[in-house]
Parts: sequence; structure tokens; C-alpha cells
Amino acid sequence: MNLITLLICLPVTVVAIEFSSPGFPPSRMEADGKLVEDWGAAGVRLAGKGVPEPGPLRVEAAKLDQLIPAARASAQRGPVALTLTAYRSPIWPSGVDVLVVRVEETRGQPVAVTVGLDLPAKTRIGNRTVTLGKRTIVTCPAPQTGEVPVRDWGCCNDANMLPKWGKPTVPCDPAFRNIRAGLGGEHIRYQFPAPKKNKAKFVLGFCESHWAEAGARPLLCRVEGAPQQTVDPVAKWGRHKPGALQFDAADENRDGKLDISVRAGPGARDRNPILNVIWIFPASTTLKPADVIAGKLNATATHYVDVGGANDQSLFPTEKVEYQVRLPAKGVRELTFCVACTGNSAPSPTTSAWTPETLYRAALDVWRGQVTAR
Amino acid sequence: MNAIHNCHRCVSRRDCIKTLSLSALGATMIGPTVHAMAKAPSQTVPGDHIDACMLRPRPDVRVAAAFFELPRPYWLGWPGTTYDLDKHENEYRALLAKSSKELGIQTDLAAKPIPTIEGVTQWIAKLKAEKPHGVLVILQEIHCWPWAEKVAKETGIPLIVFAPVGTAFTGHVKRACQVPGLYALSTLDWSAVEEGLRMFRAKRQFEETRLLWIRKNESNETVLDRLGTKVRAIPRDTFNLAFDKQTATAEVRDVASDMRRHSRKIVEPKPDDAVNSARCYVTAKRLLAEHKANALSMDCLGMVSAKLVPTPPCFAWTMLQDQGVTAGCEADLFGAMSLMLSSYLLDRPGYMNDPVPETAHNNLIVSHCTSGTKLAGFNKPAAPYILRNHSESALGVSTQVLWPLNETVTLMRFSNTNELIIDTGKVVVNVDTPPAGGCRTSVELKMDNIEDCRDVLGFHQVVTLGNHRRALQGFCTLYGIKYIHSPEHSTFADRANT
Repeated sequence: MNLITLLICLPVTVVAIEFSSPGFPPSRMEADGKLVEDWGAAGVRLAGKGVPEPGPLRVEAAKLDQLIPAARASAQRGPVALTLTAYRSPIWPSGVDVLVVRVEETRGQPVAVTVGLDLPAKTRIGNRTVTLGKRTIVTCPAPQTGEVPVRDWGCCNDANMLPKWGKPTVPCDPAFRNIRAGLGGEHIRYQFPAPKKNKAKFVLGFCESHWAEAGARPLLCRVEGAPQQTVDPVAKWGRHKPGALQFDAADENRDGKLDISVRAGPGARDRNPILNVIWIFPASTTLKPADVIAGKLNATATHYVDVGGANDQSLFPTEKVEYQVRLPAKGVRELTFCVACTGNSAPSPTTSAWTPETLYRAALDVWRGQVTAR
Repeated sequence: MNAIHNCHRCVSRRDCIKTLSLSALGATMIGPTVHAMAKAPSQTVPGDHIDACMLRPRPDVRVAAAFFELPRPYWLGWPGTTYDLDKHENEYRALLAKSSKELGIQTDLAAKPIPTIEGVTQWIAKLKAEKPHGVLVILQEIHCWPWAEKVAKETGIPLIVFAPVGTAFTGHVKRACQVPGLYALSTLDWSAVEEGLRMFRAKRQFEETRLLWIRKNESNETVLDRLGTKVRAIPRDTFNLAFDKQTATAEVRDVASDMRRHSRKIVEPKPDDAVNSARCYVTAKRLLAEHKANALSMDCLGMVSAKLVPTPPCFAWTMLQDQGVTAGCEADLFGAMSLMLSSYLLDRPGYMNDPVPETAHNNLIVSHCTSGTKLAGFNKPAAPYILRNHSESALGVSTQVLWPLNETVTLMRFSNTNELIIDTGKVVVNVDTPPAGGCRTSVELKMDNIEDCRDVLGFHQVVTLGNHRRALQGFCTLYGIKYIHSPEHSTFADRANT
């Protein structure tokens, strides 16, 4: 038996499909449709009434617009055609993989399906961000079409929890020892239910324990319905010294929620915002800042959040990335995810302007340039 | 002073001007004084010469425009019955046509004013289908503001709202400015609208630019967030190997001769230094053309330090910058992007600088060994310059460009593509080296609205002649870039009080 005959007789096996962009190491899609990266793998789940258990996928290499190398996996799952397309968008500095999940109803009957991402254990799931350790591994460049359940209150969770980061040198509430930090310039965002009369008094607590000099990490704090405040904790209170800002909040947009955010302030050399504590009191409460900082009023607060500590929580109750998608007859929905590739993080949806369209255009521009240059 | 180029031998300059006239660059790039621009000596082999001006991107720019008004005739309410709607409409139609032609913008202006919300909705559908690069709405009635906001919100396309005085109160403009991508102009000054159209063009130029990032040993290509500029990384050796192959051609000798002839004074550089500097210039053009690139930034200091080239590229970069081709120092990517902003939006070169606080006089000295000379614009006379060597290495040719005293300058710096630092100041004095150390073009500035010169933000900020604060803020507004200024009040006072 010669070599050619031997090859013909071997069973057909689907090999992993690699894809990349010029000058960067490739990622790959395995035969089961999972996208394999240096941090682990991302798989796609599909469930719903009449949608059978996962079956085989057809995985193949593709050239999008006859230029962009991609991996494509497809399967018919009952009434739904599922297609996964992965390609590298060469965004600066070293690219990101783009995973497009397309679901299409094919039998002419409306159907509700759940589209989920299977990700490694210990991931933390935010509104549009999934992190593993300090690395952002998945983000959604645009709000997805599916519905996501949320808790009553919590952090939108795009900021990292760093317990014991704070080192206050004066007696104060123990929550000043913990923080969330918006690494990579992420904003720290929380959402709380608005009280019946729509108004509340917020107190945000800070303790800077890294920078010794003023000017390094000024913070811009926004609480819905209150004038924004900029604070440089070192300049105002000193290093390792706890301090607090008060805000008269109001549900300005009448959506039943009160939103707060802390972000890097003007001229910040360190673009990573921090936040230690949140207290919420009835609007009519008169507060002595020293009492709040000392933790003496915790019991009277309607909410007391040890940010980055024990009673902190995410706004999102699930440990899964899942979207409920309602497909009309013959309807199509696409969900787009940015997936971190080798040595990189996925771009932040709050600080970057990438959209599914511009991610694709970036790939197209670069591959066109490869053809036309020289 | 002999800084103005009047070289009658520069035959191809006319060709270059002709080309630019036909391009989307617009009249502002057409000037009679460009040094060494498109020098094509008769001895050069046809096709061997590269016009630097052709390296500047010439994108298509499509703008959709419409007048918004309420059904006529008007009775009470602003702009009032005495406001001649037809006259103003005709006037602005003519001005828009003229500005579009000058800027090389293709404008699709709705044939008639849109007087109803239904008409606005139809127009929005058209915009969504045609996806122009920018939208201009000209208001003819004060109650049309919500329609303009609807356009911005529903299309997501950058929108300029021109509200001639009489069609806006403070509240309208303030509210509209909260809408992402909406830039509101409440004025009778059409130049503000033209400046806005220039922003659309600048954005398209960013998108159509490929920047060569010459550093390390990397070969790859990426795209910058928000601005869409392609960054092609190529190994640093690419440049010095190409330089080694670049002989002293007729073009090189002409460029070298011109750079000496047009200088106010020559201090250190010898004729051979000028030749080597001109070789750098021609090498850079060739690399840009080879990669179909429009801009570059190179690890020049590393190359000089490793003695890979006999001259830093300082003067070559000056020449490129004067012709609208961004050439950045030290492979500082966002420094180069900031230079590009000056070039594309303001049609003038700047220079990226090392900032030095002058604490005795509370001024800022901005210092580097290369600066454009066409400080007031590509089509304006050049500033005088003195030929010096590169101060840190005592090699090659660099410029001490003498900036005009008492003129306002703008400092700008992309921290990244999401944030721009903007400050302004006034030229106090051109600092000589010696007695000072540092780089050859050193300009001392009295900064505006900054209590303490030590608080000036950024490094390698780009210095540009003129006060462009509002134009830069407008560009940032249209494209979702946050802009910040250096602290107005001293942070040192805060520390002293802590």
C-alpha cells in the first residue's frame, strides 16, 4: 500500500482551523467549534424548546470577502441554524479575535433560544466584560440583542476587586481596606434601586494607598442627579488617609435606578480609578463625615457596600454568559464577541469605540494592504 | 532673510500643484513656497522621483446636508419674521458649495429645506442607507433642534448643526452638546462651519493613512481605535539598510543644496552632512511609497545611538512635515498621531517636544531637534531657520526654527486615541543652544490658564502656531474623544496645603 492509498483509506477527521492577521501568532478553532486561546477556550452553547442536544459541527476554513482568514463552524440544531465565525481583527496593539454567533430560524415558526458562552472556571462576568484574573478575556463591542437578568443592586463589574489593597493609617471603617480598581481605565460603575421619593444621599469613600504625591490619580465621581465631583484623594486627605464625598442623588431619568460611576479624573497619570466604600442614606439624613468614615452610621444606611470586600456583589446573578434570543419566523440574530488572543486583553467597551463594523473593517483594510503594498 | 523658496528651476513644483489642485486636498495645500517640494531634477530617471505631496492621503469625503425649518410663513418665535429665509438659504447654499469645492468634499445637499418631522424621518432613512462620512444640518427655525438631535441619535453619524444667530438659545446648544457625535455651532461666522467640514476631511485622512512604525524587529500591521489609522510596524534596520543603498543622486544633491541655501545661517553642518540628510529624506519617501504609506515614526535616537546612520533624520523630517507628510521622532506613535492631527485638521506642521519647566519665569520651554517651517500653514511663507547639528549626538543636520514672538501656539497630545490634551500659550523667546542645553528648536512659552508651569500635562506634545483650542475640541466632540487641559490651579499649592 503506497502512501496515497493509505491516506485515502484513513477516516476523515476535521483538524483545527488556524487564523490570524499579519505578523501575529494564530488562534485556532477546534473541531468542536471551540475557540482556543492562550488563556483557555471559549465554546458556544445553544438551548431552547425543540433545540436538540449538541451534535456535530462542520468546521472549515473560510476567507471573508475573499481576504480575511477565518474559521467557521456550522450546524443545524432543530429549527435553528447556528453558525460561528471567528477571525482576527488587527486592532492596535496586537489584535483581538472576533467571534460572531449567528442564529437563524429555518422552519418558519418563532422560537426562543438561549445562546451561551462556555468559558473557563473562575471567570468574572460583567455587563459587557468577562475577566479571568486581571485579564479581560471577552467583551461585547456593542450591546447584545438578548436579555440578561440583573440583581437588585451591584457593580456592573467591569472593575477588579482588590481586597486588602487599602492601608489606612488611622482608625476607620474596615471597608477602607478593600477596593475595586478599574484596571486599564475601566470606569467603576454601580447601580442601585431608586427609593420611593427618587432621592437619596450617597457617600463614596476613598483611601489612596499607592501614590504618595498629589496629581497622580485624581478621580471623577458621578452620582445620578448630583453635580459631579473631582477629587484627588492624596491632595485632599493624604496617602493612606480615608476620606469621603457626599452626593445628593436623584433618579434623574426616572428609570427606577440610581447609577454611579468613578473614573480617572482630568490629568490623571494613573488612569485606573479606585473606590473603597459606598453608603446610601435617606435623602433627609444629616451626616457628619467623620462618623461615616468611622463606620458609626453603617447600621442606618439603606445600603452599605464594602467595595471589593465581603458584601460586594455583581449586578449579574449568573456565572454564565447567556442571552435569551427570540427569533421570529425566518429571523436572524447575530451576537458579536471580542475574544482576547495571545498575550492581549479584549478592548474595553467603555473606553474603546470598536463596533462589529469597525472591527471587520480593520481586518479588511489590513488584508487589502497586504495585497496592494509592494 | 532667504527662507522663502523662489527656485525657478523647480519645474515639477507646477506639476505638484496641478496634482494637488485635482486632488481632495484642497487649496490650503497649494503653496508657492514649499522647500524641495517635488524636486525632480532633470538628471533624474523618469519615474524615479517621488513627490512627497502625493504621499498625503486623498480620501473621498461624503457629506450629507439639509436645511431644517418649519412650514412658512413664520409668525412670532425665532428667528423672526424679519429673517429672510430664502436669502439666508441661498447664501449658505453658495458658501457650502464653495467650501466643499475648496476642501475636496462631496456634499449632497437636500434640494429643499425639510419642514416636517416626517421629512426628517425620511432623510434619516436615506442617511442610514447611504452612510455619509458626516452630516451637516443648517437650522432656519429655533424649534428644529430636537430634529437635529434625532438625526445624531438615530444615525450615529457625526453631525454638525449650524444654527445661525437667531435659531438657538444657550439651552438648545447645551442640550444638543450632550448628544454623542453632535457638534453645535451657534454663530453667523461661516468659517466655523468650514472648520467643521475640515474635521470630516481630517477624520477621513486619518482613516486612509498607513503609518510606518520603524522600530525594533517587528513586522505586523494594526489599526488604531477611533481614528482608524493603520500602523505598519517594520524592523528598524529596514531604514538604515535602505539609507545605505541611497546614493547621492541629483535629487539628493539638489535637496542638500536647497536646505543650505534657504537657511538663515549654518552653524555646524558641513556639505556632506546636508547630503546625508537629503539621503535620509529620499530614503524615507521611497520607504513610504514602497509600503503605500502616508506617514512614519522611527526609532531615530536608537539608530543614532547604535551608529547605524551617519545622521539623524531631523532635517528630512522637517521637509516631510512641511509637505503635509507626518514624520515623527523616536517611534512615539501617539506623538506622531498628534503631529498628524495638526497636519490634517489645521493644515500646518507642528513639532513634538520635550517639555522643560522654566521655573524662574514660570514658563514652559518646548524643545526638539526638528520642527516644520511652514508654521502658519502649508501655503504660507516658511519661518526662518538656522542649520544646526543634532544636539545630543553632534551629528548631521537639524533645524533651529525661529518661531514668531508673541504669537499664540497650541499644544496638543493624544494620550491615546480616546483622550487629547489641549493647552495654549504664547511664544516668549527662541532659546539658543548654547547657552542652553537640550534640543535645537527651543521655544519658551508663557502658558495660558496654567498657574504653575510644572503642571503642564504630557510629553512630546505637539506645538502648533495659532490658537486652535476650539477646533480641536470640536474634532474631539464629533469623534468621541475626551479632551482635557492642564490644571488651571497649581497642584503644588495643594501639596503645600496638605
